[in-house]
Amino acid sequence: MKVGILGGGRWGQALARLVIAAGGDPLIAYEGKRPPHVLPSTNDPALVPPTCDLLLVATSAAEVRRAICDARPGPGNRVVVAGRGIEPASGRWLTEVVTEASPVLRVGALAGAAPVEEILNGGLCAGVVASPFEEVRVLTTAALHSSRYRVYESADLAGVQLAGALVPVLQATLGMALSLQGAGVGLHALVLTRGLEEATRLARAFGADPLTLLGLAGVGDLVATATTSAAWAAGRDLAAGKRDQGPASLARAVHGLALSKGVELPLIAGLVAVYDGQSPLDVLASLMSRKAQPEHR
Amino acid sequence: MTDRHPDGTGLVEPRPLVIRDLLARGRDRLDRLSDGQLLDLLEDAVYHERKRLERVPAPEAELARLDAASRAIVRGERADRQTAAAELVRAWAEEIHGRFDPRVYRFATSILPRGLNALLSSPSRGLLDRTHTPESRIQVEGELAWVRELAAEATVILAPTHVSNMDSPIIGYALFAAGLPPFVYGAGLNLFSNPMIGWWMHRLGAYTVDRTKRAALYKSVLKDYSVRALVTRHHSLFFPGGTRARSGALERHLKKGLLGTGIAAWQEMLAANRPDSEVYVVPCSLSYQLVLEANSLIEDFLAESGKQRFIITDDEFAQPRRIAEFARRVLDLDAAVVVRFGAPLDVLGNPVARDLVDREAQAVDRRRYVTDRDGKVERDEQRDFVYTERLSHALTEAYRRDSYAMTTHVAALAAWRCLVRAHGSSDPFRLLRLPAEGRRIPREAFLAELTRCMERVEVGRVAGQWQADLPGSAEATLAVALDRFGRYHRTRALAVHGSDLVVEDAKLCFYYRNRASHLEGDS
Repeated sequence: MKVGILGGGRWGQALARLVIAAGGDPLIAYEGKRPPHVLPSTNDPALVPPTCDLLLVATSAAEVRRAICDARPGPGNRVVVAGRGIEPASGRWLTEVVTEASPVLRVGALAGAAPVEEILNGGLCAGVVASPFEEVRVLTTAALHSSRYRVYESADLAGVQLAGALVPVLQATLGMALSLQGAGVGLHALVLTRGLEEATRLARAFGADPLTLLGLAGVGDLVATATTSAAWAAGRDLAAGKRDQGPASLARAVHGLALSKGVELPLIAGLVAVYDGQSPLDVLASLMSRKAQPEHR
Repeated sequence: MTDRHPDGTGLVEPRPLVIRDLLARGRDRLDRLSDGQLLDLLEDAVYHERKRLERVPAPEAELARLDAASRAIVRGERADRQTAAAELVRAWAEEIHGRFDPRVYRFATSILPRGLNALLSSPSRGLLDRTHTPESRIQVEGELAWVRELAAEATVILAPTHVSNMDSPIIGYALFAAGLPPFVYGAGLNLFSNPMIGWWMHRLGAYTVDRTKRAALYKSVLKDYSVRALVTRHHSLFFPGGTRARSGALERHLKKGLLGTGIAAWQEMLAANRPDSEVYVVPCSLSYQLVLEANSLIEDFLAESGKQRFIITDDEFAQPRRIAEFARRVLDLDAAVVVRFGAPLDVLGNPVARDLVDREAQAVDRRRYVTDRDGKVERDEQRDFVYTERLSHALTEAYRRDSYAMTTHVAALAAWRCLVRAHGSSDPFRLLRLPAEGRRIPREAFLAELTRCMERVEVGRVAGQWQADLPGSAEATLAVALDRFGRYHRTRALAVHGSDLVVEDAKLCFYYRNRASHLEGDS
């Protein structure tokens, strides 16, 4: 099967290697003058959709719209977004960006516990592809599933996209909390479990399956990237007073989504408050002094 | 290619041909089932039919068919089961097509406008009084020219909101007034309970839908009938909400069964290389000042048994005197009902281009959603279900955009909000149980709330979120609403008591408020 990959960065190259491992034939659309090493590629993205029924988008959330506009996929293409998050400029889910920017309707999202470095080094890992369209799930599985990368299928597109958006935010929250003076395993467990509770609350509000958050796209990704992720490092920097990096816009977007649905997310609101200038210790103190309540709401 | 019949209905084919075609479609489906699936389908049919026949007298022939199916399940081979299932298909095809009489249909569609005119004529004015015409009472508006154009070049599905059993005759009139050809539609058996309206129902291109039949096999025959009607280029009318909105609110969730036959018919025509293969879906919103069966509908919604009581057979629609009273007191008003034809959609829920050249280009692109690289149609029911969900979502958005906020709705909304504020609860069951004194609202407080509601309505109207045509002031809106509420219902949703306003019938107030609940972003 010929699989188009929009984005020639490390993630795009990792996906291309997974396609080859599954017996497929990748074609990467890359930017700039230097093509990815060894892998089949083109710097004319519009050449990709006519020859590939399945397209994987391997760009950052902010770049998805431009990648789609450049490649111009048509109604016959199936497009799976393999990136995390929400479009920063519009606050839209990335699959919505695809359907807005092109006539494509058959979309899906790929997420999971698959760090780029591990894939490039031949490690074993797994992902989940979500789409309301069975054919998109089946095509993606055929394109990527192999003895080194397992693909699981889900119809819960909202849940997988939500997980993809929440994982970096939760990582930053964990990174920040655990870098505060006096933080121990108790605080670690508290932030982790309450973060997941907030995630499942938001999932219910979006009609997603809360169990998806406990799967590869949620807990799986959180565990796989844990302390090695850029978001965790950004959280650690936040604790030290550096607010210029990390998933600030993503945290705000998630917080905005929660407000639009009337869902309370104290931890994520706390992270936003820190990005807005409050001291992490003050935010933590305020969270700890909230009144007692049932564990699950 | 099957040509449209010159009078707009290709169902005017010899009856045996229609039944034979439906049977062939049914057999084709049965052939594709595995042994296990066939057994499941037959068991499902026998189970649901036996349950249904516990409640209604069973004709001998029907019982004999079920006995044959039961024997085939227990002792038969695959061939016996297929034969038993095909017999059920044949019987149901006969029933669905049964009431359709092409000669009467032609006659009835030609005199429909005059018949409705008689229904709408106030006896007090006399038949020669031309000051109140159906045109002024039933306001037909929206994308009429565009829909006419599409009806001439392709097949159109009209998908209206479902408020009242009056919808069918009113849409029949609206189609005529809009210069559109007749549409065929599936009418529930309960619509035939009123002898006067029932006469019209089963002659105006209506095929019979028996909603008490729950068997999957019955539903597949019904869908085949609908696909066949579309493929033979009959414009069709479905109420995608399935049944009248009991709560009074605009539909938010639609049934996908009949709606999904649009995409099936389109693909069947594509596969046959028909040049006229396009099927378009036109949302249609009906807005009533007052609703004939409001009392029965809201009672049913609130009753615990409401969910099981899917079909009401004893409401105001079954009482000719109530219909005449409704026609005299309500339909006699200017713009008593507004029928608005919305912007057409394709069967995947995409907007349709106004310009013919753009539309033709869209049609070429659209094929790629269901064909492979060589242009061959790829059948995929799961994919089509997702496309139909998308269409369903686009329709509910159109209903919201095209529905009118009327004086009765906005006044009821304001009154309800006053009750919510006064009693600190939005629980409808608590508010519905309030004693009369608790439903009293100071006039000034009511007018202030009504003003806020009207401002919200105006902001939304300007933003294109919904339609509205309210009087200029809260006082004037209240006066009109009080007049309307006092016209037809035996109790009033809102009335003046001394210097205050009183929600006399809280259920009616709740019903009309629900029609406007989307204005405040409420469910």
